[in-house]
Amino acid sequence: MSRYAVNSLLYRLKKDQDFRARFETDARAALAGLDLTDAERAAFEARDMRKINELGGYLHLVMSVPGLAAH
Amino acid sequence: MGKIVFAGAMSHVLDPDYYQRACGDDGRQKVTACMAEIARMGERFTATRPDALIVVADDHLNAFSFNAVPALCVRIGRTVQRMKQDHAEAFDAVLDHMPEEYPLHEDLANQILEKGLDAGFDLAMSWEAPVDHAFLSPVNTMHGTRPIPPLVPIWVNSFVAPQPTPRRCFDFGRHIARVVAAGPWKVGIIATGGLSHFPELSLLRVGETDTVFDRKLIHWMEAGKHEPLRNLGVDELHKTGEHEFLNWMVLLGAVTPARAQVRYFGELPRINLAAVEWSLS
Repeated sequence: MSRYAVNSLLYRLKKDQDFRARFETDARAALAGLDLTDAERAAFEARDMRKINELGGYLHLVMSVPGLAAH
Repeated sequence: MGKIVFAGAMSHVLDPDYYQRACGDDGRQKVTACMAEIARMGERFTATRPDALIVVADDHLNAFSFNAVPALCVRIGRTVQRMKQDHAEAFDAVLDHMPEEYPLHEDLANQILEKGLDAGFDLAMSWEAPVDHAFLSPVNTMHGTRPIPPLVPIWVNSFVAPQPTPRRCFDFGRHIARVVAAGPWKVGIIATGGLSHFPELSLLRVGETDTVFDRKLIHWMEAGKHEPLRNLGVDELHKTGEHEFLNWMVLLGAVTPARAQVRYFGELPRINLAAVEWSLS
């Protein structure tokens, strides 16, 4: 688990509207080349914010990424 | 000689619609009551004819990316902007109707920063970081349509481990008090956030609070017993969902040994709402 990789990705999803649109269109392609574990990659591809939080994603990010936020 | 003329601490998501969605009618009713008390605190603050308002709050991974996460950061410059978030969700949406720019008290901020470095506090500084709901929700609730005095925003890293210790935050508050006392200004200080919510920052535990721990903190603040508060551990705050109490610790250092008066305390499943004011001599 990489706290940095997971959270920098969440931060980018929150703040970078273009990247978020690419992720929403094709998550696998948007995540290509990122330094994620298989579990982290699977959680993001599944938009599973609960799992992402369990894997170290900060709560305030998983609750506030537009369109993906858990409440 | 300068003086801290007002000190208050309060929850910082102050939005009836947010709590209606999160907690139903009870949420709306309680946050509305809490906001009314905070507005009255704001009226008392304005009546002191202050020169500046120090706002001690935390960043919700908005202003600071994982490029750098400062333990303690002073916002310097002449103005500060409201954080903007496209398609804002949850607590970010609270900001949408608020003014976009606020004046800063440049001299006071610079003195806190520069004298802090001299005193051994390795403070970060920012000319650009925007402020989110943690700063602006209380400030706007306090002032309503009245003018807001120049601000000194100060961030405490409440969430990204390793955080500064409660003792360090308290000691930084003592530093702020010394700077204010040495200056010519009448200054208010607020700390925002809390009380207990989001224990362990776990999504599974959203909806849990720790009222027993909240009441213990309140008891110590009311009694002016600051030593047990200084001895709190960051792990303890993490487990109980009191992360943002680090902001309150800075305020406590600034006003010690003053005693707190609770203006509002209300239990909700999502968070225990609070508004507290200190009696200053």
